[in-house]
Amino acid sequence: METGDKLIEVIDLEKHYNSGTIKALDGVTVTINKGDVMVVIGPSGSGKSTFLRSLNLLEEPTGGAIIFDNVDITKKKYRDENGKWVKVNMDLHRQKMGMVFQHFNLFPHKTIMENMTLSPIKVKKVPEEEAKKKALELLDRVGLADRAEAYPIQLSGGQKQRIAIVRALMMEPDVMLFDEPTSALDPEMVGEVLDVMRELAKDGMTMVVVTHEMGFAREVGNRILFMSDGKLLEEGSPEEIFETPKHPRLKEFLSKVL
Amino acid sequence: MDNFIKIDNFSRLTPYTTLFWQGTVVTVMLSLCTVAIGFVLALILSGMRLSHFYPLAFLALDKDGHKMEEGWRATLGKANPISFIATAYVEILRSTPVLVQVAIIYYGVFGSLIELPSFTFLGFIKFERFFPGVVALGMNSGAYLCEIMRSGIQSIDGGQTEAARSLGMSQLQNMRYIILPQAIKNILPAIANEFVVIIKESAITYTIGVQDIMSAVNAVRGATFIIIEPLLVATAIYFCLCFPTSKLIAYFERRMSRGDRR
Repeated sequence: METGDKLIEVIDLEKHYNSGTIKALDGVTVTINKGDVMVVIGPSGSGKSTFLRSLNLLEEPTGGAIIFDNVDITKKKYRDENGKWVKVNMDLHRQKMGMVFQHFNLFPHKTIMENMTLSPIKVKKVPEEEAKKKALELLDRVGLADRAEAYPIQLSGGQKQRIAIVRALMMEPDVMLFDEPTSALDPEMVGEVLDVMRELAKDGMTMVVVTHEMGFAREVGNRILFMSDGKLLEEGSPEEIFETPKHPRLKEFLSKVL
Repeated sequence: MDNFIKIDNFSRLTPYTTLFWQGTVVTVMLSLCTVAIGFVLALILSGMRLSHFYPLAFLALDKDGHKMEEGWRATLGKANPISFIATAYVEILRSTPVLVQVAIIYYGVFGSLIELPSFTFLGFIKFERFFPGVVALGMNSGAYLCEIMRSGIQSIDGGQTEAARSLGMSQLQNMRYIILPQAIKNILPAIANEFVVIIKESAITYTIGVQDIMSAVNAVRGATFIIIEPLLVATAIYFCLCFPTSKLIAYFERRMSRGDRR
């Protein structure tokens, strides 16, 4: 569902370590539009995860800009229209970006229900009853309504990841970031997680997905980014990337993974 | 070396039973007060060590508000004086003998700097000796407990913080709802073990005249010139204090780990 409305603008993003000798991100410029399902592919260590984690500042970029809600969130503070310094409130921006991790990162000391409702209740001050009702609806959607009172340790990997996805959805984010959501799963559980993500894309959720699932990238993504050595080497529709790759590095990569 | 232990020597100890009884009460009181002081101190210290207080952070921002990664300004920006003070305290207290610390507190701090009122409480505990002992032991165990708490907090997987922060929680909310509940459960056994250590370590306060179990041994020795038998009595008392305590801890430890395999 492409709309063409800009949601996040990434300009010349850099993440350097050790005085710039290691460049995890080396000038990445890309615009994420509302409704985009942007899939980031590339070899290990290419900076895909760093790029994704930079979007909600789990990694602090060392240069460049991420414009979200008209604010450059990479800066600690900025001047408003009256010339006054305003502190960037990262917590506020992070609420609008849901994140799903490779290792799920559910809270082991909380039940599934508590995992999902904690942040809406404490951060967004949603009434408990309302949050619970919404959690049950979402759990129903991913087929786990009967596990609401279970603890994460009682669930399978695929179930945990589905919970992690709906937990992020509880905050009603503008964009969902997926950091290799299926890489830590048993092969037979990959499908159930991808199904949830497919549904989400169909509903028009803006998504940025780092994945090694080329089939998923091809089928669900509307834009594919290919990264290598911290650089964005090629960008295009799934057809362009998979049928007519231009960059030699991308051709080499595809010949190995497809 | 004919008879190492003489049974009838024990019967000569009977007039001093009250001394041992009082010593036991003092040791227990000393340990409880020490744990209380140490625990509060450790909470403060570990909070200081893990604080995010960077008074010079503005130096590390370049002219458009980005955080610099290297250079002297970035180094200064990362300086945290509160954490430094707490770290220095912990390292000094952990790297010097308790015996020396107790002596410094008793003779140095309360001997010349601060005047303590001299009275007895519970009938026989001399406040002006008991209090410096508690302070010294409390300061010492505070340093150790601080390390236990810090390691407990840092043992929680970084992914937990990332998940909490990505859900919009502040660092404070993350600590309160996510990190601390998990960390406290992990460190309770270590804290309880520290309690057993304190019971044993409190024996050192007899050097400043606190009337604990060890000082009862010394009193008996001075009066009767028998030494092994009172020492054996002291050993038995310490064992009766520590062994049940550690068994109790082990019991709770088992109960809590059962929760992990729900």
